[in-house]
Amino acid sequence: MRKISVDKLEAGMVLAKPLLRGTMVILGEGTALTETWISRIEDMETDSVFIEGAAEQAIPQEEALAQLDRRFQHVLDQPHMMALKKIVKEHIEGLYGG
Amino acid sequence: MADNLELQRMRAKVEAINALPTVPSNLRKISVMLEKPRLTMDEIARFVANDPALTTKVLRMVNSAAYGFPGRISSVSHAIMLLGLNVIRGLLIGISVFDLMQKNMAGLWEHSCACAVAARCIAQQKKMKEPEEVSICGLLHDIGKAIVMLQFPSEYEQALREAKEKDISLFEAEKKYLAATHADVGLWLAQKWRFPANLVEAIGYHHRPQLATQAPLETAIVHISDSFVRAKGVGFAGDPFVSTIHPATWQMLQLSDDEIRDILTQIDESTSAAGEET
Repeated sequence: MRKISVDKLEAGMVLAKPLLRGTMVILGEGTALTETWISRIEDMETDSVFIEGAAEQAIPQEEALAQLDRRFQHVLDQPHMMALKKIVKEHIEGLYGG
Repeated sequence: MADNLELQRMRAKVEAINALPTVPSNLRKISVMLEKPRLTMDEIARFVANDPALTTKVLRMVNSAAYGFPGRISSVSHAIMLLGLNVIRGLLIGISVFDLMQKNMAGLWEHSCACAVAARCIAQQKKMKEPEEVSICGLLHDIGKAIVMLQFPSEYEQALREAKEKDISLFEAEKKYLAATHADVGLWLAQKWRFPANLVEAIGYHHRPQLATQAPLETAIVHISDSFVRAKGVGFAGDPFVSTIHPATWQMLQLSDDEIRDILTQIDESTSAAGEET
């Protein structure tokens, strides 16, 4: 899933998380947005929503992960840096829909 | 190893930046203004208002995703009220070195902006009172690189080349060719421009956060933000490597996995937003 700003919403996008007003669910998870829903969301003064699907990435995932390995090559012996690397790796995989 | 005389000479040269013929005029004007001992809010507001291009740039920055007031700040006076004089000083310097950065180290601006976002995010997580000031520390932490490239271009060229050829960090390579590092140069300039102690330390000690005495938290935040931005591979700061996070800093900040994920996501969102704005 990815977070996008309300002004970039397009009909057909699917909500990855429910849209809430306080604790009330206005639109449920999995709702496919129509132009009408998008105007309602704009009226609500929400800044952004979570929608399904990964953003297009400039390079393939394998290349992104190979670059990640290269960047971390000088800190392989440090546990806290490897813990960080793991989190970054998962973050990168998430960008590709993983 | 540089001796004290070499260090003093380098410092004197850096501090004489206003006299350098190659310094961009907008940077010189801002540098001269910020050196004044009792600069008022009105003076800064008037300075910016007299330059429509600068006004536009300042407003664009304060309204960007990096500052959390998207689209709501309509004037420089409003910005000064909301964000404070130190943030505006910092933005003015940031804006005036933008061209230098773009020209001399492609990717340095993107690295700096991402650090600004990460620093602000962490400052908020730690419930600090002025997250925007910490953000400015992030934005300007590598400003020394821009000025060194301006004043000592051939030495820096060599340092960059050495870093690339030997697969080492620029911070390491610098020490071979210059009497002081970009962090030292940044510190000298921050003092010259009368930035508050927290900004001076965060810039000066971002590679050695254990040396900060007056602003250990802000310095720690910039130190770790620098690493996070490198970890994510955003921009380019002279070498592609993730620098070790000082273990004491890691312990001090105690960021949870979720907090780190949040920081990475915010960096991501700001870079994609910035891509759309340019």
